[in-house]
Amino acid sequence: MIELKSVIKTFSNGVEALINVTLHVGKEEFIFLVGPSGAGKTTLMKMLYREEIPSSGQVVVDRINVTKLAEDQIPFLRRNIGVVFQDYKLLPRRTVYENVAFALQVTGAPRSQIRRRTMQALELVGMLKRAKSFPSELSGGEKQKTCIARAIVNNPLILLADEPTGNLDPQTSWDIMELLDKINRRKTTVVVATHNKNIVDGMRKRVVVIEGGRITRDQQLGTYSQE
Amino acid sequence: MSTFSNLEFFVVEAFRGIGRSPLMSFVAIGIVTVTLTIFGFFMLGVINLGNVVSTMGAKLDITSYVNKDLSNRDAAELEVRLKKIDGVEKVNYYSKDDSWKDFKEEYSGKLELGEVVSENPLPNTFAIKVRSPEILPNVAAAISKIEEIDEVRYSGKLISQVQNLVEAVRLAGFVFVFLLFFATLLIVVNTIRLTVLARETDIYIMRLVGATSSFVRWPFVIEGIVIGVGGGVFAVLLLRATYETLAFKVSAAFPFLPVVTDSFLLSMVFAAVGITGAMLGMIGGYISVSRLLKNA
Ligand SMILES: Nc1ncnc2c1ncn2[C@@H]1O[C@H](COP(=O)(O)OP(=O)(O)OP(=O)(O)O)[C@@H](O)[C@H]1O
Ligand SMILES: [Mg+2]
Repeated sequence: MIELKSVIKTFSNGVEALINVTLHVGKEEFIFLVGPSGAGKTTLMKMLYREEIPSSGQVVVDRINVTKLAEDQIPFLRRNIGVVFQDYKLLPRRTVYENVAFALQVTGAPRSQIRRRTMQALELVGMLKRAKSFPSELSGGEKQKTCIARAIVNNPLILLADEPTGNLDPQTSWDIMELLDKINRRKTTVVVATHNKNIVDGMRKRVVVIEGGRITRDQQLGTYSQE
Repeated sequence: MSTFSNLEFFVVEAFRGIGRSPLMSFVAIGIVTVTLTIFGFFMLGVINLGNVVSTMGAKLDITSYVNKDLSNRDAAELEVRLKKIDGVEKVNYYSKDDSWKDFKEEYSGKLELGEVVSENPLPNTFAIKVRSPEILPNVAAAISKIEEIDEVRYSGKLISQVQNLVEAVRLAGFVFVFLLFFATLLIVVNTIRLTVLARETDIYIMRLVGATSSFVRWPFVIEGIVIGVGGGVFAVLLLRATYETLAFKVSAAFPFLPVVTDSFLLSMVFAAVGITGAMLGMIGGYISVSRLLKNA
């Protein structure tokens, strides 16, 4: 599903964010990306939905060479990738329902589908009863659930979550992780970047460690730190 | 079905944008109104001046007089020579006797001419039609070189002056209107850019979840069209009211001036004003969001 081959990313200011990264993630996998701040986790994720372009190497998503993708094809790549952020990026003037439906509307989805699929996504994350609330009226966990609903409403092949629990208390963090696991079980590839040791150690998923732009460890049923 | 719900989405988003900075949108509509009104008046002015020229142009005659008596043969010979001059289309000859007869017929009963003048005071007249107004002065000069001709008259001087004026007005107007459009476009762009900036996150999310560039653009283009058409409607209302009063007053004061009142032609002008407004807004909306789409 995700294939990185010798990816190097050097920013224009000379920072080498990724150095010779090669990684394969299969269709039904759930992986944690861990590593110190500034290691290159976010940069790696941005390569997948073409917000950044590698300086060299190849990025392939769902057999599509993202590196060589024409500008006007990018939207269609992104419809296959849901993204969840630490700071949610919800639209403040829209309700929970509208925030989620928005992701369908802007892809030109037929009106008949928008309502049904939005409701399904809200149901899945457990936000149906808060559908009419505005983001300012939600707790952090509820905001993140809304953000996840928006990311999956399009039925993407891949869900990327960049520190999804960064602003949440431990219990809520676990709720979010269970939700991501549930989504993974519905055959969506899930990639989670996190600094949360307890969660990584508790979930025992594949762990990919990045340090200074290089992959230094790739472990099935892994832990946050090397034992 | 889906295009319809897209359109609904675009329109709703466009009005949200206007609603977010209503004062600025209002100012933009006002400025578009002013620009389009000036543009409309400029068009009406050019049309009217053109109308004056073509009305005058219908009387493109040179009249030349021969005072001494002419025999029929002399007159025919002169007519041939006049016809040979470059640019002459038609020559009509009126002998002094014919003219005198016409004159007396026309004024019989109104004037007792016999008491004032006993002898025919009128000259022999050649009425000459030329092909186009620009060559009037040259043809007139050529005619006056003919010895037998005593006097040459034509109204061409005024016509060519008016024509030069029309050209000048058209040129200056074009430059002025162009600059005005440019300035107005900048204002429209900046007004909509306020919406664009207020919605940076919306646009970011749209791009993130896979909206195409044109989809992101449409609401802003429609916002521009709303501003442009709004300005256009106000401008047309203003133009109509002012032009009707003005046309009426000018016709009353100077009945000889041919003021354009052809309602089809006026409708075309108003339609042009409206369409220009829509175009201006559309281009403004398109530009306003371009920069954000490029570096995303
Ligand atoms: N647009 C950019 N221009 C220049 N340098 C950048 C840019 N984005 C990221 N970097 C640099 O690239 C390196 C990797 O950044 P990245 O955000 O991928 O780290 P990260 O692993 O996500 O860190 P964190 O855990 O703190 O989120 C950092 O040194 C960062 O300063
Ligand atoms: Mg990061």
